[in-house]
Amino acid sequence: MVTMKQTKKAALLGLTGALALFTAACGNGNTGNAGNTGAGGNGEETITLNMMHPWTSPNVDNEVYKARIAKFEAEHPNIVIKQDGVPSAQYKTKLRTLAAANNLADINVVWPGADLEPLVEGSLVEPIDGLMDNWKSILPESALAGFNIGGKQYAVPTKQTFVDIIYYNKDMFAQVGYTEFPDTYDKLIDAVTKLKAAGITPISLGNKEQWPLQSSYLSIIGDRFTGSDFLTKVINKEAKFTDPDFVKAIAVIDELTKLGAFNTDANNMDSVQGQDYFIQGKAAMHISSSTVDARIRINNDEGDKFGIALFPSVEGGKGDPVKSAGVVQYGIAIKSGLNEKTKAAAEEFMKYFVNEDLYKELIRNGVVVPATVEIPEDASPYLKEMLELTGKGTAPVFDSIIPTQVVDVVQNGIQALTVGRGTPEKVAADAQEAIDQMN
Amino acid sequence: MHTLKQNKLAIFIGLFPALVIYLGIAIIPIGISLYYSVMDWNGIGKMTFIGLDNYSRILTDDTFWLSVQNNVVIMLTGLVGQLPLGLIMAMLLNKGLKGSGFFRTVGFMPVVISSVMVSLIWGMIYNTEYGMLNSMLAFFGLESWQQNWLGDMKWSMLSISVAYIWQNCGLYMVIFLAALQNIPDEVNEAAELDGATGFRRTLHITIPMLRSTIMVAVVYSISNSFRVFDLIQVLTGGGPAHQTEVMTLYMYNSAFMNLRYGYGSAVSILILLFSLIVITIVNRLGREKDA
Repeated sequence: MVTMKQTKKAALLGLTGALALFTAACGNGNTGNAGNTGAGGNGEETITLNMMHPWTSPNVDNEVYKARIAKFEAEHPNIVIKQDGVPSAQYKTKLRTLAAANNLADINVVWPGADLEPLVEGSLVEPIDGLMDNWKSILPESALAGFNIGGKQYAVPTKQTFVDIIYYNKDMFAQVGYTEFPDTYDKLIDAVTKLKAAGITPISLGNKEQWPLQSSYLSIIGDRFTGSDFLTKVINKEAKFTDPDFVKAIAVIDELTKLGAFNTDANNMDSVQGQDYFIQGKAAMHISSSTVDARIRINNDEGDKFGIALFPSVEGGKGDPVKSAGVVQYGIAIKSGLNEKTKAAAEEFMKYFVNEDLYKELIRNGVVVPATVEIPEDASPYLKEMLELTGKGTAPVFDSIIPTQVVDVVQNGIQALTVGRGTPEKVAADAQEAIDQMN
Repeated sequence: MHTLKQNKLAIFIGLFPALVIYLGIAIIPIGISLYYSVMDWNGIGKMTFIGLDNYSRILTDDTFWLSVQNNVVIMLTGLVGQLPLGLIMAMLLNKGLKGSGFFRTVGFMPVVISSVMVSLIWGMIYNTEYGMLNSMLAFFGLESWQQNWLGDMKWSMLSISVAYIWQNCGLYMVIFLAALQNIPDEVNEAAELDGATGFRRTLHITIPMLRSTIMVAVVYSISNSFRVFDLIQVLTGGGPAHQTEVMTLYMYNSAFMNLRYGYGSAVSILILLFSLIVITIVNRLGREKDA
């Protein structure tokens, strides 16, 4: 029966062969459970672990992860980690496709919440409750909650990302009379208008991939208007996307569009090009994740030009304006149904990979981590500023709570607003319809 | 009789491997897809039978019809853009220009380059900030003609169509060239003796002689247009806001991005139906003229 199911699923992949280019479904076919049984140096068995991860771009944290994998291999000569690095824009798609074919790698990088649920539901990842003692002292419950489904823990995170950091160009703001970042929405709009009048693009946006407006903008703008429990309420059918507060949040995107706040080619620039546009001094603001701080300030000789801020308070808003929208990322999870030896090796890897040293190394490189470890003295002052800014409470990130297919409707809806189609009310109604259709 | 039977067996044995492969990668998956298309399934969890719900949802989805409309645009682009251009290029080459081998290679090059490369190249050409197209317009003092080629709803499909023509017309050029070279010299000589030269000869002799090749190219071009995917995926990802989405992208997004495998399978069945219908119509039209 199992093989029958597998055959069917494999056939499904065959059908969409033309799409293999992007899903790379044919990438690593042989994610077999059994390790190679080649002879090791001292007659010990060599075990091969397949690992799929999205650490391909030259981000500082990616280098840290890869160095750590190399170190593990050096210290464990009988375990080989066969890496399958997939660019992050395609990573989730490949993960889902492999999951549908019951063909996951032995070790996978997973996202929490709505993204992890289907994998757990299909019994594709192994609970790791037995290992949790390793991290008890350094990982707070808030960091683990997203990977805890039905009382069982399935992964541990390596990194904490705040998705809503506003990077701003201090000189440009000073030019229009703001020595500090505007602390109310009205002042922000005033600044946008003045920047525009001064011939400066107010906000650089690279929304080709569609997630930036949803994740970095709507998560926090929504929170400012509705408060932090709104999205969960929507899932539990106690609130609706069509509630006036949330519609007001969507309307912010509409208002910014009408003011001409974004660069004209926002929809065919990707997120990295959006960052470049800002770093090159072509725009006054850029809203993105805390990860980007490494590029914009920490590793940038001219990093001092840029300040960081959170989205300001809005009139009548129910949210707390000091909160930042954050999510834990890069959960390391083990595939279920591995044979004993492979499983032992995978657990060994996991214990080694995710530990205090990794978190410290990440901090040293300016990356925010979800663990409570001491911040080294030599940590970048920019990181300290970031921790200060984001340390006053966490708001939920839209797509970590809302199911993917509803997120898709919302993303397309707000993208339509940026090209002058549709209305905030219509976006809200479509989103509500999509979530109603789900069950 | 006996030998014929043996021959048939030989033919069967010869064809068998190909048949198995064809069944395995074409026919059986279509059947499986049909099966999935009546299910509600996220690709991982349990499947639930929901009858024709997927179909009725698709057919009432505006985005789907937008993608059908874009497919029609791509199809017409192929028919009125690629084919005539391919034919003209083939005729020019057939005249025995100097260096025709070189031009043939250049014309055919886009066909062999991977679609992703083609898309990246055109993405750079269309780039608003530093793209070649806008720079060229600026060079000629036509700043007012500069556009946000891929991001603007008015221009995005047109921009994609141009890239699509560039990508494929070389293929038709080569097909037509092969057919042109098969027209016997006597026919052309006879036509010339009868006073049919230049455009008249093209219209009354060459094109009718190419009829069957043109029909094949038409069918091929249509089926190609239903499969267009990678070009648009890389250029615009179907955006802005679904404006450049085609049916294959709609299927891909439904199944793989939104985890609706049943829904996506239903879309794939509809794509199959649509292309079968269009191709049948074209074949009918072609045959009627023959009669």
